[in-house]
Amino acid sequence: MKNKLYIYCLASLFATSTFVSCDDELNDLQPFTEGNPETFFNSVSSFQNGLDGIYSQFWNYYSAPASGLQGIPDILSDNVILSQTGRRSNEVYYDYRYNPNTGGAISLYWSEAYEAVNAANLVIGQIDNLADGPEKDNIFGQALAARAIAHFDLARIYAMIPTQSADAANSPGIVYLKVEDGDTGDPFAQPARETVASNYTEIIGDLEQAAELIGDSNGEGRLNSDAVYAMLSRVYLYNGDYQLAINAANQVTTSIVDAKIEGALLAVYEDTSNEGVIIEWSVNTSSESSFNNVGVLYSQTTPPNTVSEYVIDYEFFNNLDLNDLRTEVMQFDATNEDNNYNAVRKFLGETGQVNGRVDVKVLRAAEVLLNKAEAQFELNQANALETLNILRNARYISYTGGENGLALEDAIQYERRVELSFEGHRFFDLKRRGEAVKRSNNGDIQDGSGTQPEVLTLPAGDYRFQLPIPIDEINANPNIAQNANY
Amino acid sequence: MKSYCMMLVLFCCSITVALAQEKNVTGNVTDQDGLPLPGVSILVVGTTNGTQTDFDGNYSIMANTGQTIRFSYIGQKTMDKTVGTSATINVQMEEDAQALEEVVVTGYGSRSRELSTSAISTISTEKIEAFVPSTSVDNILQGQAAGVQVTAANGRPGQTAFVTIRGIGSINANTTPLYVIDGVPVNSDFINNLNPNDIESFSILKDAATVSKYGSRGANGVVLITTKRGKTGDAKIIFRSSYGFAERIPDPFDLMNTSQKLDLEKQFADLGFNAAQSLPGASADATERARLIALDTDWEEELLRKSQIQSNSLSISGGDEKMTYFMSLGYDKNTGIIDRIDGFERITARLNSTYQAKEWLSVGTNISLSRNTTDLPRDRNNVQNPFRAMYDYNPYDPLYSRNPDGSIVLDDQGEPVYNPTRSGFPIARALETEPEENRNFLIVGSLFTDIKISDKFTNRFSVGATNNRFNRTARSLAGGVLNTIVGDANFPGTQTDETANTFQYNVNNLFTYTDTYGNYHNLSASFLLEYNEDIYTDFFASARGFPSPNIPYQDVAAEATASGSSEERRILFSQGLFVDYDYDSKYILSASVRRDGSSRFGSDNKYGYFYSGSVAWNIANESFMDESFVNDLKLRASYGTSGNQNIGDFNYLNLLEFNTYNGNTTAVPIGVGNPNIQWESQAIMDIGVEFGLFNNRINGVVDYFKKNSKDLLLNQPLSQTIGDEDNSILANIGEIENSGIEVSLNADVVRAQNFVWSIGGNVSFLDNKVVSLVNGDDIISGDFGYNILREGEEINSFYTVKYAGVNPANGEPLYYDLDGNITNEYSAGFNTILEGKSPYANIEGGFFTSIHWSGFGLRADFVGKGGNYIMNFQRQSGISIGSINSNQRVEAFNYWKQPGDTNVLPSPLFQGTADQDSDRWLERGDYIRLRTLTLDYTLSNKLLEKTPIDRIRVFATGQNLFTITEYNGDPEIGIGSAESSDPSDPDDSFIPGAFSLFSYPQTRSYIFGVEIGF
Repeated sequence: MKNKLYIYCLASLFATSTFVSCDDELNDLQPFTEGNPETFFNSVSSFQNGLDGIYSQFWNYYSAPASGLQGIPDILSDNVILSQTGRRSNEVYYDYRYNPNTGGAISLYWSEAYEAVNAANLVIGQIDNLADGPEKDNIFGQALAARAIAHFDLARIYAMIPTQSADAANSPGIVYLKVEDGDTGDPFAQPARETVASNYTEIIGDLEQAAELIGDSNGEGRLNSDAVYAMLSRVYLYNGDYQLAINAANQVTTSIVDAKIEGALLAVYEDTSNEGVIIEWSVNTSSESSFNNVGVLYSQTTPPNTVSEYVIDYEFFNNLDLNDLRTEVMQFDATNEDNNYNAVRKFLGETGQVNGRVDVKVLRAAEVLLNKAEAQFELNQANALETLNILRNARYISYTGGENGLALEDAIQYERRVELSFEGHRFFDLKRRGEAVKRSNNGDIQDGSGTQPEVLTLPAGDYRFQLPIPIDEINANPNIAQNANY
Repeated sequence: MKSYCMMLVLFCCSITVALAQEKNVTGNVTDQDGLPLPGVSILVVGTTNGTQTDFDGNYSIMANTGQTIRFSYIGQKTMDKTVGTSATINVQMEEDAQALEEVVVTGYGSRSRELSTSAISTISTEKIEAFVPSTSVDNILQGQAAGVQVTAANGRPGQTAFVTIRGIGSINANTTPLYVIDGVPVNSDFINNLNPNDIESFSILKDAATVSKYGSRGANGVVLITTKRGKTGDAKIIFRSSYGFAERIPDPFDLMNTSQKLDLEKQFADLGFNAAQSLPGASADATERARLIALDTDWEEELLRKSQIQSNSLSISGGDEKMTYFMSLGYDKNTGIIDRIDGFERITARLNSTYQAKEWLSVGTNISLSRNTTDLPRDRNNVQNPFRAMYDYNPYDPLYSRNPDGSIVLDDQGEPVYNPTRSGFPIARALETEPEENRNFLIVGSLFTDIKISDKFTNRFSVGATNNRFNRTARSLAGGVLNTIVGDANFPGTQTDETANTFQYNVNNLFTYTDTYGNYHNLSASFLLEYNEDIYTDFFASARGFPSPNIPYQDVAAEATASGSSEERRILFSQGLFVDYDYDSKYILSASVRRDGSSRFGSDNKYGYFYSGSVAWNIANESFMDESFVNDLKLRASYGTSGNQNIGDFNYLNLLEFNTYNGNTTAVPIGVGNPNIQWESQAIMDIGVEFGLFNNRINGVVDYFKKNSKDLLLNQPLSQTIGDEDNSILANIGEIENSGIEVSLNADVVRAQNFVWSIGGNVSFLDNKVVSLVNGDDIISGDFGYNILREGEEINSFYTVKYAGVNPANGEPLYYDLDGNITNEYSAGFNTILEGKSPYANIEGGFFTSIHWSGFGLRADFVGKGGNYIMNFQRQSGISIGSINSNQRVEAFNYWKQPGDTNVLPSPLFQGTADQDSDRWLERGDYIRLRTLTLDYTLSNKLLEKTPIDRIRVFATGQNLFTITEYNGDPEIGIGSAESSDPSDPDDSFIPGAFSLFSYPQTRSYIFGVEIGF
C-alpha cells in the first residue's frame, strides 16, 4: 500500500506541475496575426500602413468585379448596352429595378466607403503620435483627402448633387463623420442624415485643409497635392462653385497624355504609363494576382469568345469622329456565340492580358481640363473653348471646333462623355446636370441589331438617380431616413 | 512508438499460444427460456483459448479433459463447466439480475444504466454497419437517437452533417455538439476521417446531469464515441468488403427537352418578352429547329455519373487476462457523382490496447491514423457548379461545340472542344482544368493510466491529442477555363498549395473516491483537472507560369505570387467536482460543479462556473414491484447549467488587420471588439422515465426537457456608418428557449427460436422560441436576409414578402403589402414575418423494423422530419421568367395566357414583379425517407465447420431508396449553396436547411458486401 501511495504522490506531483502554469497561459494569449489599433500607430511607417489601408478600401469598392464603382455608373447610363449573350449580371441596375434589398453595388458602396472613412478617422485621430513636421503633415493631408473622397462618393451615390436641382441643397445628404468633432468612438451610434449642402461644405473643408498639408509626390496609387486640387475641381463643379473649380484646376500641374504620340494613350490603360493620371487605385498584378479584376464587370474572355456583360452602345460608338484617337482604347471587336460586338477595351488588362486586372483610373488630368472648361462655360468666360481645345488637340488628328453658346456646352459634354467613358462618370454627370438618361433604341450587336434596352429613358429628376440606402442600414439605424419613393 | 512494437509482439505471441490443441468440445448454449443464445463468450480458463457461440447458439472449442470452460454473457450468470469424457457440453444460462446492468458511457467515465440519473441515448454497432462506408459518422446519427437532430449538409462524399442536440442552443455561436472519441475531444470537422467500422457505440449526452460536466463546451450536448476494444479470448479476425454505386436521387419534376425549350422561347418572344428575342426559339426556322432537336442533350448525363463506392476493412482483436488489443485497417473510396473528378478516398488504421501492468495499475492507448483525399467542386450559385449547370444549360447546347456542318469542333490536338454554351462557361472543361485536391491526415491518440490506490481511491491520468494536417492544392491549368478569363497570359497556369495543421491536446486527471457506508449508502466523488489547448498553424504559397499541367509543383513555376502563414491558439483550463450517491440502487443523487477559464474572453470574464444536480428513483427495485411484469422502471429529473464559447478568438479586442495595397502593407481596422463578452449560458431541466416490460421485450424512454439559453452572443447590427468590417458587434444579448418531448420505444414483437421480429423508433417533438433580443429589436438573419429573430416567435422564422397569386384578369403577380392589402406592386418593404414557419422541424425521428429468420436478416431504417420550411430557390431559378436564356422546368409552360386562368405562373410580361423573392418559393420540408434497407444472410456454422472460418455474412444495402415528400426537389437540405452561405465562415449568417440552391445533392446507393470472421 505504501508503495502505491508513493507512486500516486509522484503522479499527482507530475499532474500538478502540468497544471500549475495554466492560468498564466490562459491570460497571456494575444492575437497572432492582428494588430492593436490603439497602439500600432506610432511611427511614420505604421501611419503609412494605415494610409495604404484607407486606399485599399477604395480599391475594394471601385474594383469589385461584379459591382465596381469604376463601371456601374456607365451601366446606369447610356454608354453601354446589356449584351444578350452575357450572364446578365447587374441587369437589375441596368433596368433600374433596384430597391433597398438589392445586393451588389448598393450595399457594397455604403459599407465600404464608410470603412474607408473609419480607417481615415483612425489615422487622423492619432496623428499627434507623430512629431510635427512635413511627414506628419503629408500623412494628415492624405487621410483628410481620403476621408473627403469617401464621403463625396457616398454623397453623390446616395444623395442628390447640389447642382442637380433647386431642392438638392436642403435634401437629405449622408452622414459625415469626423473624429475631431467627436463623431466616432461610439459603436452603437445611430446618426441621422445631414443635408447635401452641409456634406459638401465638409467635403470641401477636408479637401482644402488637405491641400495645405499634403506632399507633392507620394508614389503610385496614393494621393498627393495634385490629387487634392483635381478632386477639388470636381467637387466644386458638383457644388456649382465654378470659379473655385477653375482656381483648383489651375493648381493642378499634371498634364494630359497626348494621344497623338503612338501608343501613349493605350499605355495608360495597360498600366505601362501613368501619364495624365492624377488619382488611381492601384494593384500590383504580380504579388496581388488574386485581387479584384475590375474589367470583369464589362467582359470575360473564354477563347475564342469574349463574353461581354455590357458592350458599347451602337449610336455612341458610331458617332465617334473618325479622327478621334480614343477609339482604340475604347473598343475592340469581340465575338460571342457567332455574334459580333463592340466590346469595352478599357480595363481589358495589362499589355497582352485579357484578365481585366488593371489599376482603377479615378481622376485624370483630362477631367480637370473638362471640369475647368465646363466651369468657365457656366461663368460665360471666353476661354472655355480654349481649355477644351487643349484636350481636343491631344485627342484628334484634326477637328473643326470653334463652337460657342449651346454648341460649346454640347461639345464640352460630348468630350467629357467620350474622354471619361466607361470610367464611372456618365451617370453622375447626367445626374448633377439634372439631365435624363436617354438610351438609343439600337440593339446590342455590333451592327445595331439585336435586343434594345428594356428601359430607354430615366427621366430627369427620377428618384432612381439616388440609389436607395441599403436595407441593412435602415434596419440597424432607425434614424437614417430612406430616400424618397423606395 | 517503441512500446507499440512491443505490444504487437505480445499479441502475436498470444495468438500462437492459442493454437495448441487437444480435444474438440462442441455444444449449444441457450437462455433460461431454452432459446439459443448467440455471442456467448467461451473461454478455457487459464488459457487464452476462447470462442463465441454462433447465431444458433452453437460453439466448438479445443480443450483438455479436466480443464474448465467458462461461459459468459451480458445479463447472464457466468457458468463454469469442467471438461469430462463427453465431447459435448450443452449449457443453459441463467439471468443475472445484477449483471443485467448495462453500462453507459457518461462524461469522464461510465456508469451502469441503472444508476444513471441522466438522459443518454446510445447507438450501437449494428446500426452503424448499414451505412455506405464513406458516410461521415455524424450522418449515421440521423434518426437513431431521440433528441438528436441531424441535417445532412449535402450529398458530397465525406461531407460532415449538421448535428444539434435538443434544438438550437445558440444563434450565432456554433451549435455543433462536442465530439469526444475515447476521451479525446475532436473537432467536428475531422470526424469524417473516422472509420465507422471501428466504432463500438455512440453515447449522446443530452441533459444537464452529464453535459454540465463538460462545462463551457457542453451546451450543445456531447457525443461520446467509443471505439472497439479487444475481448479476452481467441483472436477474432473480421474482414469486410463491399462494393456498390450511387446515383443522384431523381427530381420529382421534368426539365424541358429541346423541342419544349424552343417552344417556350418562341412563346415568350411572341409575347414581346425582350430577353427571348435573341434566343434560338424566337428565330429558328424548321430546318434550324430540326438541327437543334437533333442535338438534344441531357446535361445530367453529360456532367454526372454513377458513383462507385468501394470499402474494405480488416480488424483483429483479442486478448488474454492482462492485455487486450484491437487493430484495424480500412480503405474506402467513393468517386462521387460528378463526372471527371476523383471524389473521396480514405485510409484508416487503428490500434487500441489495454494492459494490466500491475494489480493496481492499468495502462492503455488508443491510436488511430487516417488520411483522406477529396476534391472540392465549386458549390456556388452559377454554372461553375455542375449541379447548377445541369439545370441551366439549354438542351440544344451539346457537350462539344459543332462546326457549321454539324461535326464536332476539334482543337489543334484533335481533341473535341467543349461547348462554352450560352452561359459562356463550359463546366465540363472547368472540372478538368480547375482541379482542387484536399488531403487530411488525422492522428488521434491517447494514453491513460488507471491507478487503484486503495479500494476507495482511484486515479485516472490521461493525455489525448489530435493532430490534423490539411493540405490543399488548387490549380488553374494553362489554357483552362479560368486561366483564360482571369489568369495572366504571360504566366499561364496558377497553383496554390496550403498546409494547415490543427493540434489539440488535452491533459486531464480524475481523482476518485468511492465508498459504501452501512450496507446501502454508496458514495463516489471525483475531482477533475483538465487543460485543453488548440493550436492552429497555416501556410500557403501561390505561383504562376507552369511549363506543363502535368507537373503540379511550384518549383517549376516561373514566378511566386503570394504566400502567407498564420497561427491561432485557444486555451481552456478547468477544474471540476462530481459527486454521485445512491441508496441501495433505489434512490440516486448526483451533482457536479465545474469552473472553466477560456482565452476567448477578456480578463474580467475569463472564468465561468457550471453546475448540475440530478435525482432518480428506481421504482423497479422496490420490494412492492417484485413479481411484476415490470422489469425496469425509473423516474429521473435533472437541472443544471452549461456554457458555449464556440465563437471566434479575440472578439473582446479591437483589431487591425494587415494586408496589402499595391504591394504595400496595409493596416485596416477590422471590427469593433466588445470587452464585455462572456460565456453563453444554458440551463436544462429534464424529467424522464425509463421502463422495461415483459422480460424487457418492450422497453422505452420518455423525456421532457426545457432548455433555456441566455446571454447568447449575437451580432448586434451596427449602423454601417461606424465603418465596422462586418457591420456588427458581438454581445451577450439574446435568449432563446427550446423545449420538447422525446420518446423512444423498442419491442421484440416475435421472439421465437428461429424467428425474431423487432421494431423500434424514436421521435422528438421540438419547440423553440426567441425570448429576448437587444432592446427587443428584431434581427434580420440568414444569408439573404429572409429570416428573422423576433421575440416570442420561432427562431429564424422566415421573413419575406407574401405572394398573393396571379391576377386572373391579366396575369400579373400580386403581393400583400404590410397592411395585408393585395397590390400589384412588389417592394422589399413588404417583407413580413411568416409566423410559425422556420427552417427547423418540430417533429423529427426515425424508426426501424428488423426480422431475423434462420440465417436471414432484413432491416429497414426510416428517418423523417416535419414542420420545417425551405426556401426553394432552385425552383425559382427553374421557372423564373428572366431565366428564359437557361433551360427551364416543364412547369414553366404553365403561365397565365388568357383572362380567367388560375393556378398559373405569372405572365412573362410582368417579369419585373414576377421574378422577385417571396414566400411563393417557400415550401414545407416534411419527408419520410427509407434511409437504409439491408438484407443479409449469415452462413450457418455447419457449413463452415470444416473451414477455419467462423462466420460469413453477405449483405446488400440500399440507401435512400425512396422518399415521401411534397417538396419540389430533394427535401434533405443542409447547405443551400456553400459559396453563398458558408457554414464555416463566422461572418456568414448560416442557417442549415433554410434554402436550396444547387449544393451537392443527396444520392441513392446500392451496396453489396461480404463479411468474413475467423
